[in-house]
Amino acid sequence: MSNTTTRIREQVERFLPKVLKPSRYLGAEWNSIHKDWDETDVHMVFAFPDVYEVGMSHLGTRILYHLVNSFPWFACERVFAPWVDMEEKMRARGIPLYALESFRPIRDFDVLGFTLQYEMSFSNILNMLDLAGIPLRTSERGQEDPWVIVGGPCAYNPEPLAPFIDFALLGESEEQLPEVLNLVAEQKKNPVSRREFLLKVAQVQGVYVPEFYQVDYQEDGRIAGIIAEPGVPKVVEKAIVKDLDAAFFPTNPIVPYMEIVHDRMMLEVMRGCSRGCRFCQAGMIYRPVRERSPETLLRQTEELVRSTGYEEISLTSLSSGDYSCIQPVVQEIIAKYSPERVGVSLPSLRIDSFDVKLAQEVQKVRKSGLTFAPEAGTQRLRDVINKGVTEENLMEATEAAFKAGWSSIKLYFMIGLPTETQEDLDGIAHLAKNVANLGNKLGRRNVNVTVSTSSFVPKSHTPFQWEPQERQASLEAKQKYLKEKLRDRRIKYNYHDASTSFLEAVFAKGDRRLADVLEHAFRAGCRFDGWSEHFRYDVWMESFRELGIDPSFYAHRALDYDDVLAWDHLESGVKKRFLMQEHFQALQEARTLDCRLTDCTGCGVCPDRGVQIDLKG
Amino acid sequence: MLLRIAYSKLETAKYIAHLDLTRVFERAMRRAKIPMAYSEGFNPHPKIAFGSALAVAVEGEREYVDVELRQDMDIREVLGRLQEQLPSGIRLLEGRVVQTGSKALMAVLNAASYLIRVPMALPIGPERLAEGMDAWLKREHIPFARYSKKGRTDKDIRPWVKRLTGSVEGDAVIVELEVEVGNSGSVRPEEVLASLRDLENLPFDLDALQIKRTGIYVHYEGQHYSPLDPDHKRGFRSEAR
Repeated sequence: MSNTTTRIREQVERFLPKVLKPSRYLGAEWNSIHKDWDETDVHMVFAFPDVYEVGMSHLGTRILYHLVNSFPWFACERVFAPWVDMEEKMRARGIPLYALESFRPIRDFDVLGFTLQYEMSFSNILNMLDLAGIPLRTSERGQEDPWVIVGGPCAYNPEPLAPFIDFALLGESEEQLPEVLNLVAEQKKNPVSRREFLLKVAQVQGVYVPEFYQVDYQEDGRIAGIIAEPGVPKVVEKAIVKDLDAAFFPTNPIVPYMEIVHDRMMLEVMRGCSRGCRFCQAGMIYRPVRERSPETLLRQTEELVRSTGYEEISLTSLSSGDYSCIQPVVQEIIAKYSPERVGVSLPSLRIDSFDVKLAQEVQKVRKSGLTFAPEAGTQRLRDVINKGVTEENLMEATEAAFKAGWSSIKLYFMIGLPTETQEDLDGIAHLAKNVANLGNKLGRRNVNVTVSTSSFVPKSHTPFQWEPQERQASLEAKQKYLKEKLRDRRIKYNYHDASTSFLEAVFAKGDRRLADVLEHAFRAGCRFDGWSEHFRYDVWMESFRELGIDPSFYAHRALDYDDVLAWDHLESGVKKRFLMQEHFQALQEARTLDCRLTDCTGCGVCPDRGVQIDLKG
Repeated sequence: MLLRIAYSKLETAKYIAHLDLTRVFERAMRRAKIPMAYSEGFNPHPKIAFGSALAVAVEGEREYVDVELRQDMDIREVLGRLQEQLPSGIRLLEGRVVQTGSKALMAVLNAASYLIRVPMALPIGPERLAEGMDAWLKREHIPFARYSKKGRTDKDIRPWVKRLTGSVEGDAVIVELEVEVGNSGSVRPEEVLASLRDLENLPFDLDALQIKRTGIYVHYEGQHYSPLDPDHKRGFRSEAR
């Protein structure tokens, strides 16, 4: 251990008893991996720009940590955003941001990889770079600084972060990231210029190097064009795992000491969802659907139980109820592990594939409320968003649930969806009341229905990417209306803060010009924007004003099909043509069916890439 | 089978919060394939019960936990298998089968001893230290303000303190402290030191305290017993009389 790491550890331990949840900052959890620095060629630190208990609940973080460490010549450590109390103490004492496993300063690593799970964590990225003593902009960094890279869903439009990152990894990293790290190893042995190295990295599938793409703007603020330098792909297309069943999956995950948000084993039953909800970015960028076989899942379950000792296993995916072997896999896990008191949970259940027996099976250990997401209040609007569920589906599902003994139902909706009318809002209240009435009719006492609404945020790479977000005042009026309308002692109404959704929309469809705003807001103290107690809307607006940038231009403008989108040079495999076609269909209130059930919808992800839908049931 | 285990919780394990410790033991037991007994009811949980809570960042040299198993097992095997699955810093020291239905550790442990290292903000000699401690011990009532969400409450901390000695070691003071632990509460070591600093002007730097609980006992008629020691039961019998 070097002097620096010992000194950091000693200093941190002096004040650790005085910060909230010291376990966040110690990194010696069960199954954490501590590699010898000098025995490994490439040192990567995986950074999650939120607190420990959020970051450790993220499956992708866990997969990549163990994946990189599975190579003897790589070492991967972790870092999370220190909570505000910890940050204050670190800054006061000049302690740099350090990696949890070794207490080594982040700037000593070769690669600093951030995962971009949501736009509201962008300010934390700058804060973490700053705490690490790494210059924010690539142009200010030197050879001794780490490569700053990003991945995850928001990497499909990382433009607001462009000046701060060396490159982005689009798509699934199981094969791509090791390839990149091998290039870094080569670069350490036989260094070439920064430019030459980045040119090499840009050849790896899904690697996007922002500085090789020139963005020009028109006078009215729209993008005139995006031009790729010679030698790099004109359009960067995501990396993809062809055989999910054979892909790396860690069965010796870290078991934190403190309670984290999703404190259980996670078994990834499949990847991708082709239901085709038109607002959903995940449903577009993770295509096609690929399942794992029951044999693989049962073997992984056994290994997970033995290596973690956890009391619960979650069968995760974008829509686990759609996994073709869900029933036998759940039953087998329960049969085998209930004597050890290991329970199964499913993170989300679709109304139309809701199976009360399945729900009962998984609820054997814990009896919590059931959550359904109709997303919109009328059939017309549900057709617009292509959320193929009907009111009958919802009533049947809740009837089965009430009869089976549940009395708490949560319903998720979105407000501000394209084409929404008064009728659609009334539809939300109507559904909530019908569910509550049904509960009463079936003799459930203490029926309680929780209605949550979030405000629609148009996301890049979705059919609704051309849509504007509704204005805040209007969204707030709708929230108020629903609050009145849902006045009923059996119904509880929650809604998301509209100003947070507004900023999310700005960055979701943002371009490089937002980088200055981001830096300004960070310097003015913005961080943890996703946490309502730290979100400082006024400071953000002040930053926009200061830099003469109109946030409304990004959030509230309806885009034309022939506008150049800030992310036109980045592709998830789903073609822009298909997204346009889907947008058009939406406005016709026409459905597009799941390609697992009918014909190919022509989204474009399967041809040319040697991948296809892979179902095991 | 109810197993009472003595263990130490040192080094980085001292940061594992008391509330998290049950989960740490439960998961270690499951990894070790030791069949735990569970409570009945809606939401069964493993029957794991600790003695008095150890504050975060306080080391414990000899703490106790009761775990109930679903079947009889060889103690040495249980301890061996469990030890392999516990985080470094938690060392199992000893185990003994106690009768099912025995009084809970929480109910029998009533005394604790601490060893504290506190740096001095200004150097003082051993005489000045001894003087300050004697004066403090001679006080009959020592009010101490505790703050919580509900506001301030003043507590007399003097009755809980049974023994207090100190020695100067370089630029720090080493304090040995014995306190009573009871249903109605106790006193925290840092409270005693803060009170010594404030009332007797002892120049303690409380920001850099190192605290170790050296033991927790069944105190009866001036004697300390271990809850593993069958003799400690004399205490209960006389109590029952």
